[in-house]
Amino acid sequence: MTQISQLPGAPLLEVSHVMKNYDGTRPALDDISFSIGKGEFVAVIGPSGAGKSTLLRCINRMIDVSDGEVRFEGVSVSQLNRRDLKKVRSKIGMIFQHYNLVERLTVIENVLHGRLGSKSTLSGALGRYSRDEKRQAMELISMLGLAEHVYQRCDRLSGGQKQRVGIARALVQDPKVILCDEPIASLDPNASKVIMEQLKRFSNEMHISLIVNLHQVDVALRYSDRILGVNKGRIVFDGRPSELSPERIAEIYGTELSAPRVRYAS
Amino acid sequence: MTNALDTMSGTDRPVGSMVASVSRLPARPLTKEKVVIRLLLSVLAVTTVYALAHLDDGGVNLLQAASDTLANLKIIFLHPGGPHLSFLKALYEVVITLGLAFLATLFGAFIALFLGLLGAQNLAPKPVTNVIKAFVAFVRAVPTILWVLIFAVTAGLGATAAVIGMTFHSVSYLTKAYSESFEDLDRSVIEALKASGANWWQIVFQAVIPSSSTYLLSWTFLRFEMNFANAVVMGAAAGASGVGFDLYMASGYYFDLREVGLITYLILAFAIILETIAIRMKNRIKDDQA
Repeated sequence: MTQISQLPGAPLLEVSHVMKNYDGTRPALDDISFSIGKGEFVAVIGPSGAGKSTLLRCINRMIDVSDGEVRFEGVSVSQLNRRDLKKVRSKIGMIFQHYNLVERLTVIENVLHGRLGSKSTLSGALGRYSRDEKRQAMELISMLGLAEHVYQRCDRLSGGQKQRVGIARALVQDPKVILCDEPIASLDPNASKVIMEQLKRFSNEMHISLIVNLHQVDVALRYSDRILGVNKGRIVFDGRPSELSPERIAEIYGTELSAPRVRYAS
Repeated sequence: MTNALDTMSGTDRPVGSMVASVSRLPARPLTKEKVVIRLLLSVLAVTTVYALAHLDDGGVNLLQAASDTLANLKIIFLHPGGPHLSFLKALYEVVITLGLAFLATLFGAFIALFLGLLGAQNLAPKPVTNVIKAFVAFVRAVPTILWVLIFAVTAGLGATAAVIGMTFHSVSYLTKAYSESFEDLDRSVIEALKASGANWWQIVFQAVIPSSSTYLLSWTFLRFEMNFANAVVMGAAAGASGVGFDLYMASGYYFDLREVGLITYLILAFAIILETIAIRMKNRIKDDQA
């Protein structure tokens, strides 16, 4: 049923037989396995409560897995000590539905937070960033079209602008992978389009792999190279967008009735 | 007219029957609270009456006493000034009192900052926050003056004991205020920074403290205002010098009402200034929340 799509490179991230039990009832993740290559754009779709968020957070060990293994660049994430875990995390960016910015700080300060993982405790705590780091942050900010808001507090920005700050914060980490947890679920269609296109662009230009949790199947179809369908903690579909037939979608979303209507992209 | 009367009496009947049906409703249950409150009120009433009836007035003529009190108040508030204290000397003493309050607030704020971080549920594990919260609640439950007297055992009565005691109480007050301010920061923001590899100290200084700095400043100033009032009392009760001590001397030794008036006015002036700033700070918190 599942089919591994063509990988553009050696697997950067390997998830094998991952289980997650929160309280011993139904597992949140049930024997999840997949691997992702460099620069791949993977959309994860599935009904609410299917385990999409849990899956993302198991990758950078914000949540510990109950069983199985996550390997990032060949290193088993679950075996790492705190220090090495932080090193791995600094190579994995994360973007959130609610942006999770420090609202009272300026755009540039929030973007520079992405550098904290690569700094010493002291210089990070004091907020001492090097000239290069600041330049890199500035560049990303203007690439994302926020140049005129650099010194504005984030609580003055619109949702779409906040999410772009979130993207800049992830990109300034120089990540290999960016995990996106419902990045457009709180945005209007226009802002969503801008965000998705920018994500796609950075994924292509900087060869960053993206794992994007999405609610909207049509968005997944339009932008991703590969789609993972998750239902009740299991992967029920793994393939190219062109292989995702309405029957498959119905399978992912449980019943035919609850399957969202889909506009097909080319 | 008669028609109107008729209709009125006509409406009367159903109302009467309603009243009757109301009286037939079951009485409201007598809850435990009600019983306690009623009991308390009756005990208070009885003791008040008893105390009034058996008041030992020591042969004081109440009318005379009342008019004397008024005369004293008149001297205090209308003719302030004093032979022992010049205005400048009194001002200097107020500054000493401010200094006591400032020191206690400064030490308290510094210690409370760290305890507050450990007491915030989004920053520290639950057992730690519980211990901190219990400790702080205990310290807060004991009045400031008691802490001062406790520390007077080792430091001797005076400014040192007063500052240590006030610091103690400030720590407990500010720890609670700070940790609640820290808890206002969304867990998800902390999660975001953690996910990018930032460690605890970096998250604290880059996200938690910047987000709550307005609150921290405001709470600290509120405590400074409280400490000023405390420091006046400490001057009198713990010999901590400052204007409180002068007030004590003026009222207890020299019986110099004019000097009491001068000091009272000075304290009042400073209290009003501090209060005004404190209110502005509070408004800033509100504005920020809006």
